[in-house]
Parts: sequence; C-alpha cells; structure tokens
Amino acid sequence: MSAKKKSAAPSRSKAAPVTATKRLRTSSVGDGADAHQQLIASRVRAGLFAFFALLSLAITSGSAGVEGKFAFWADKVGGTDISFSIPVILLWAIVTAGFGAMAGLQLTRGATFKWRLAIGLVSPILVFALLARLLDGTTANLTVFFTSTLSYAIPVGIGALAGIVAERSGFLNIAIEGKLLFGAMIGSIASSLTGIAIAGPIAGAIFGAGVSLFLAWLGIRYKVDQIIAGTVINIGAVGVTTFAYLRVLQPHSEFNRPIGISPIQIPVLSEIPILGPILFSLSPYFYLSVGLVLFFTYMIYRTRWGLRLRAAGEQPNAAGTVGIDVVKLRYRAMIIAGLLAGFAGSYISLSGTGGFGVNTSAGKGFIALAAVIFGAWNPIYAFGASLIFGMTTAATTLLSGLGVSLPPQILLSMPYVVTIIVVAGLIGRVRAPASAGRPYDQG
Amino acid sequence: MNALKKFGLKVRVPALSISVALLVGALFIVFTDLEVLGGLLSDPIGALSLGIGRAAVAYSALFRGAFGDPATIQKALESNGDILVWARALRPLVESVVASVPLIFVGLGVSVAFRTGIFNIGGAGQFTMGAVGGTLAALFFGAGVTPAPIAILLVMLFGLIGGAAWAFLPGFLKARVGASEVITTIMLNFIAGQFVFFLVSNFEFIQKPPRIQPVSKELSQFVDLPGILPIASLRLDIGIIVALLTAVAVSWFLFRSTRGFELRAAGLNIAAAKYAGMGATTSIITAMLISGAISGLGGALVAVGTVKQLSPGIAGSVGFTAIAIALVGGTRPSGVVATALVFGLLQHGGSLMQVQTGIPIEMLLFIQALVIAFIAAPELTLGILKNPFRRRTRAVSK
Repeated sequence: MSAKKKSAAPSRSKAAPVTATKRLRTSSVGDGADAHQQLIASRVRAGLFAFFALLSLAITSGSAGVEGKFAFWADKVGGTDISFSIPVILLWAIVTAGFGAMAGLQLTRGATFKWRLAIGLVSPILVFALLARLLDGTTANLTVFFTSTLSYAIPVGIGALAGIVAERSGFLNIAIEGKLLFGAMIGSIASSLTGIAIAGPIAGAIFGAGVSLFLAWLGIRYKVDQIIAGTVINIGAVGVTTFAYLRVLQPHSEFNRPIGISPIQIPVLSEIPILGPILFSLSPYFYLSVGLVLFFTYMIYRTRWGLRLRAAGEQPNAAGTVGIDVVKLRYRAMIIAGLLAGFAGSYISLSGTGGFGVNTSAGKGFIALAAVIFGAWNPIYAFGASLIFGMTTAATTLLSGLGVSLPPQILLSMPYVVTIIVVAGLIGRVRAPASAGRPYDQG
Repeated sequence: MNALKKFGLKVRVPALSISVALLVGALFIVFTDLEVLGGLLSDPIGALSLGIGRAAVAYSALFRGAFGDPATIQKALESNGDILVWARALRPLVESVVASVPLIFVGLGVSVAFRTGIFNIGGAGQFTMGAVGGTLAALFFGAGVTPAPIAILLVMLFGLIGGAAWAFLPGFLKARVGASEVITTIMLNFIAGQFVFFLVSNFEFIQKPPRIQPVSKELSQFVDLPGILPIASLRLDIGIIVALLTAVAVSWFLFRSTRGFELRAAGLNIAAAKYAGMGATTSIITAMLISGAISGLGGALVAVGTVKQLSPGIAGSVGFTAIAIALVGGTRPSGVVATALVFGLLQHGGSLMQVQTGIPIEMLLFIQALVIAFIAAPELTLGILKNPFRRRTRAVSK
C-alpha cells in the first residue's frame, strides 16, 4: 500500500508542473472549442491580411508616377502652410509590406499576435495611401484632416466611455444615442439661458445622469428588459428633443443661442510647428476627454471600485455573496454613464455655432456603441476605435470637399460594417461582460 | 359576459398604457407652451386653463385627422352619394389605414422574431431593403415588360427577398456564433440607409431624371398597385389586403404549425427546445428570415404603392413604432393589427394636428416610448391604478 502511495506520489509531483504549464498555456489561448475557434479566427485574419496585401500590391503597381501632395499649417490654423509630396507608389509599397508582414506573423504566431495593435499601426498609412491615390495630385490639408479626426472622436469617445462604465457594471447600454441628444439640447438651452459657457456641459451632464437614472430604474426596479428600456430612451429622446426644438427652440431662438466652447490655444505647446495646430489648439473638450479616458482606465483596472464594478458585470451573484451591493453599484455606474453621455452630447451642440438641431447627434451614439465593442470594453482601445472611425469620416469630408467622386456612403458605413465583423467574431472574438443585459435579483 | 371580461383583462394594460401616455403627452403640450409657462406665476389658473384649452384643441384636431370631421361626415350622409363629398369625409380615416399598412407589416415581422426570443430591431433596415427589392423589380419588370399582375407579384417577391436577405446575416450570426442581434441589426439599419443613398444617387436607371436629389424615379410609371375603394381619389391599395392576409398567415404559422411551435418553444426556453430535439439554430435563422421577409414585403408595397418612390429615409420611424406595436399587441397577429390601426390613426391624426395647431408630430414618438415603457413594466402600469396607500404599506412590509 505504502509502496504504491510512494510510487504514485513522485509521478504525481512530476506530472504536476506539466499540467500546470499546460493549464497556463491553454488558459491564455482558451480551452477546447474556444481554442479551436480562436485558431480558425486567426487563420481567417491571416487570410484577410494576405488579401489586403495582394489588393494593395495591385494598387501599388498601378500608381506609378502619381504624386501624393499633402500640406500642413505650420504655425497656426489658417496660417502659412508647408507642403510636401510623396510618390503614391511608395506609400502603397509600405502598406503592402505592412499587410504582408501582418499576414505572415498572424499565421505563425496564431492567437498571440496582437492584431489590434497592428491594424492600429497600418490603418493610418492605409488612409493616407488611399487619400493620396484618390486625390491624384490635388493637395490635401492634413491639419484639417487631423483636427477633424480628433474632434470627431470627442463625442464618440466619451459616449463609448459611458457605454463601457455601464456595461462593465452589467447594464447593457444601448441608449447612448438618446443621452447624447438630451445632453445636446439641454446643454444648448442652459448655456443660452444663463449666458455662462460652462453651464452648458454641466447641465447636459446632469440631465444625462437623470435620464440614465430613469433607464436604470426601469431596468433594475421593474426588471424591464435592458434592450427595451434602452429603446424607450432612444425613441423618447428623438421624440422629446425634436418636439421641444420645433415647438420652443425654433420659434424662440433665444433659447438656442449657446455660448460656443471654442478651441483653446495651449500656451507654448501650440507654437510647436506642425504639431501645435493639430494637437494643442483643440477644444477643451478634447483634453478633458483624454483625461477622462485615462482616469477611467485607471479606475476600472486599478481600484477597488473598478474591481467591484467588473465583478458586478461578470458574476453579480458572486459579487453579491461577498457583500457588494450590486444594485447600488449598478445605479451609480448608470449615473456616471449618464453624466459622461450627457457631457459628450453637450459638445455636439456647443462646439459649432448652430446650437441644437433636429437629430443633431446623427447616430454618433451608435458609433460609440460600435467603438465599445471594437475596443473590447477597454476605454483606451475604445478611444482608439473612435479615432479610426473619426478618420474615415474626416477622409469622407476631405474628399467630398475636394470634389473627388467616391461614393461617400461606402466610407460612412465603415464603422457599422467593422462592428458587425467584430461582433461576428470573424477576426477575433471580443467578449462582453458576462452579465451585461441580465437583471440582478438581490435575494 | 365571461368572454367580455377576458377581453377586458387582455386589453387593460395596453389601453391604460396608451391613455396614460396620451395624458402625459397633453401635459407636455401644456408645459412646452411658453405663454402658459410665462403666466404660471402671475395667474396660474388662467394660464393652466389656457394650456389645457390648447391641448384640447390639439387633441380634437388629432381626432378629426384620425377619423374625419363629424361635420363633413354629416354633410356626406346628407349629400345622397356625392362622390366628392364622400371622398372628403372619408379621406382622414382611409389615410389612417394607409399609414397603418407599413406598421402592420413591420409589427408582424418584429413579432415573429420576438416570439422566438430574438430582439430584432432591424425592422427599419429590412423594410428599407424590401423597398429596394420592390423598386428594382418595378424598374425592371414594370412599364409593360411583364403583364401588370406578374409585375406586382414580382415586386412583392423581390421585397420578400430583400428583407429576408437583410435579416439573414443577423440570424445566422446569432445562431452560429452568438453575435448579439441587437447590435448587428442596429448597424444594418444604418448600412441599409447608406446603401439606398448610394443606389439612388449613383445609378441613372434608378435616380429621378434631373439627378440632383437622392430619390428614385416615380414608380407609378412602372407599376401601379390597384386601389380597392370605389372612389379613385382615396388611395387605399391592395397593400392593406396583403397585410391582413399576412397577419392571418402569421397567426396560422405561429399557433397552428409545427415549425411555429418550434419557434415559440425556442423563444420560451431555448435550452428546453434544444433538449426536446428541436433545432434551435434553424429556429433562429428561420425566424429571422420570416421576420425580415414580412418587413421587406411591407417595404416593397409601401415604396411602390404608397410613396411611389425610393428614398434613403423611406423607413422613417417605422422600426421604432413597430417595436411598440409588437409589445402592445402582445406579439399576437390580431393584437398587432389592432395596435397598428390605432397607431395609424394616431399618425395621420398627428399630422393634421401639426398642420392645424403647430404641435409637432414627433410627440407621437415620445408617446410610443412611454407606451413601450408601460407595457414592458406592467407592474408600473398597474401601480397607477392601485390605491397609492396600499402600495406604500406593501413596500414597508417588504
């Protein structure tokens, strides 16, 4: 007996490290069917990258002799410009090489390859190469291109942040669009009535929080399906804001003449040539949104609050068992999400000169939802996604402004197409917080 | 008596929801009136009665727009069959029915998906793609290429295909990889709009001749759906008949056929359905295909028959309204048709209200949102009926 035990013990201890390393390896890749699916996904990705490489090779060979002309405003917006030109063929050669390398690395490294990062690196060059090819010798001002990209990312990025905070807590937030609309209208009214610039964003945020609280109340207190509750907010927002606009704001335009929040020049930094006008002469909203993204990344991943938030979104029952008040936590998360979304909405009506208009958010809330998913519920990735989406929009504007005949609808539907591909898990599965969308029963 | 009581219980929550929502809408009218708000402090009673009076005027306009003006109807009854007078008297009611046609279709489509446990909010996109299919069929086969009845059938067929194709992807992804249909259908709604924009602004055979506006050619030149009323100026075409037949077919399918039973089983408890040997995957895809096809059929008939033109915004808010209708109608075909007729009345009445009193029709969206909230939270709705003191004690005992 004892001999058996002894002989068994060493073999077990020998086996232990093996299984441990095995478990470690599998846990990083996923187990069983999941791993298989990931393998397939990575092959699909490699195939896609290879396809893009071939496609760009074809474009490369066809674009000899075309010059891509770009310009920057050197000192300030609208100031003297520096222009330069690159042979388009060179840009496309880089893109081809990039995609080729991605395809190869993806195939050899499998699921460990950081394809998101790689796409992030290649896609800006791709956008330029595309732009240069389409412009066909016309000069494009890149300062405008970059600033409009960054500005677009403001409402979408903060909206996405609102989505992330809510969904991490376990509340599916498809009502970002509705809260943006409310924030935009209330922000404009508050700013017009008080004559104080800062009143706009504050009022927008507070109203957004109120709307979000109502949403949470429907979903948590009455256990209304969270998608239906979100739909209620989205429909109601279009109805209420359009109604109020046509009935009050349009006939009495004094309610809709907000004090715009205009871009600021950051001292010293804004005088850096080329970079200054792009990065340091933006709306204060931009700097705030970058700050918020960093702040919430820290909060979600590095603090007790963040741990509890994620626990409530993943395993609310387990969280409840160890004494976390899941209901209260979700309410709070929804209020924060509402503050953020309302604040983001106020940017839409306060950044320009027009104030609030009918359906002024124009689907940005849904793009934010796309960014949440594309960014895998991570604030920084989601902000990156909104930058990419912003770039496609900026490219569309630039091209249509220069009279290039490319159907803008194709570029404009890119974010939606990308989201479907991502949700489909074809190029890499993203996993939503496990309990997002499920009501929590506190026993 | 018993049947009546049963019916009363069934319509209690929907009826209460719509009435309370309309009441809240009236409050909204009163408190967005700046004159009322301005007078509220100095002369509260006068201001409030002014506001309530205006809301009453608005709602009476809504009523007249929905059902017709009693005075005109009186005149028509006395006119001994003067067609022009009758046409004027009946037009509001007929237009309300016309407005309810797309709502019946998309409401039915959405209901089939809801019954299977799929939250298809892509009604607008599927409707739009059905309209695309119908428009293309009209352009290719209409105007004498094929005999008119065949052209009409082809329009309907292409509508079915267009809608089903647009619904296939979310259904497939949901069934195979579990991708949330909510997200995919929202995204596909936007893509459908952009796609129509692309179609009607880039192709000569689709776009209206001067080729400035992003709209298609007048489709009445190609296919004309026959009207069903003896008075030609009232535009109620066969769309409503197809809609009612579809409702009957959906009712039979859901509650009398084996496939329909499987779909409902999948909607009630997908794990149990799987365990009982029903293919949950095929159920989801089938439900989405049927759901999309019905919405698409509606899109084709509305584009060719009612609007007679394809434009990017053809779906309007029909996707939203359909969700409200499906929920209020209890995702039952009979309930959906009844609710769609009510919403059709509201919609056409609302447009007259907007013309006569300047109160924007968007109020209806707000009312729909409230109705959805009330229906989805029956506890909340019935709480309104209950004695508030009793509710308080229950909350304490909890």
